[in-house]
Amino acid sequence: MSREEGVKFPLSEAFSFSLESIKRRFGRALVTMASIVLGISFLTFLLTTGRIVSVLYGEGSGVAVQFYQLWMAVIALLICSVGIVNSMLMSVTERYKEIGTMKCLGAMNTHVLEIFLIEALLLGLIGGGIGAVAGWTIATVWQAFTQASPVNIFMVSASLWTEFNTSNPLLLLANPLIGIALSVVIALLAALAPAYIAAKLSPTEALRYEV
Amino acid sequence: MSLRYEYAVETEDLAKYYVMGPVTVRALDGVSVKIRRSEYLSIMGPSGSGKTTFFNMVGGLDRPTRGKVFIDEVDIASLDAYELAWLRAKKIGYIFQTFNLIPVLTAMENVTLPMVFTGVEREERLRRAREMLTRVGLGERLDHKPGELSGGQQQRVAIARALVNDPVIVLADEPTGNLDLHTGLEIINLLKTLNTEKKVTIINATHDLKMIDVSDRIFWLRDGKIERIETRAEVAVKEVE
Repeated sequence: MSREEGVKFPLSEAFSFSLESIKRRFGRALVTMASIVLGISFLTFLLTTGRIVSVLYGEGSGVAVQFYQLWMAVIALLICSVGIVNSMLMSVTERYKEIGTMKCLGAMNTHVLEIFLIEALLLGLIGGGIGAVAGWTIATVWQAFTQASPVNIFMVSASLWTEFNTSNPLLLLANPLIGIALSVVIALLAALAPAYIAAKLSPTEALRYEV
Repeated sequence: MSLRYEYAVETEDLAKYYVMGPVTVRALDGVSVKIRRSEYLSIMGPSGSGKTTFFNMVGGLDRPTRGKVFIDEVDIASLDAYELAWLRAKKIGYIFQTFNLIPVLTAMENVTLPMVFTGVEREERLRRAREMLTRVGLGERLDHKPGELSGGQQQRVAIARALVNDPVIVLADEPTGNLDLHTGLEIINLLKTLNTEKKVTIINATHDLKMIDVSDRIFWLRDGKIERIETRAEVAVKEVE
């Protein structure tokens, strides 16, 4: 048998298959995404708040506050990871039968893995994106209004503006970007284990599986 | 498809044992058979006789404990993962009792899926899927999802999916098991027509006696062994007696 006549599953096919799968199982995708959005928005909220506070009161202020907030962020991240792992696990196991069928049609282990990892990547990107933007916006608006005086509102916006103009514009985006990156990494890690187990199943084992 | 080999499938002393705690279940215990090209074959036997195990072994879906399976004279145990995937995609079509269609995909998409793996161009995929679905009588239901189709219609989609890559053999595990009498008969006749038309070997694991009327040969399986092999004529004579 020549290699030209072997099975194919180009990345573009895998990508459109994953995208369609997310679209058509939107309810399931929303559940998975909700945990990502909540976790990442909380994380970004804390990071951004810390940043604004240190801009308002100077870098040295509130080292204790920052330490406390980092602590909170770690816990937020842990809770968020557990949620994502749980929903990824569910969404893979409920599709064992589908995986078995795909393997009967010619899918190889790597193809199955590809499909699930691309799905996780997309969910991580979208969920993380929404979460990061939400967290950042809430933190900025919240700080602007709870600092109450117009001077402080002015300072918050002015400091953000200065940061954007003078220093590195990326600083403004740093916290949301950290949020998105973390969300993608967590989503991929969470999907890796169940997807790997599912991909390694023999077609008969996968087909026999009843949820 | 050239008729290079006389036999589409050969098995040699095929056996599969399952160890369940202290008990070893001999699901399949030394089956040696030869299945000719374009034959319509039924493997009959009570449940637990090893029909499905035979189906899984011949289909390359599970590894035997002992013995060999040859498809087109190739020992499938000698294939690597890549070649095995090609065998499943191109040489074998599978039909299941529970249909096993992908629930989120439409009839068209379900039928095009095997052609994605064999690398058929997109336009050609759509053309062949439409042609095949029309052939099984679902030309009006192309964009329906499995949940919107009846059992008989779902099985037709599965048949179209199994045949769309022009396989050497079609393996069917209790294809009429979830269907009523009338629909089951329609499916049996459809399989027989496609068998005659496309010269594809069809192997049914079944205990549906309606299958006898269209089968060229019947393998009677009991306790993992071939009890006897009969042609349709022999079964008919016995019925008269």
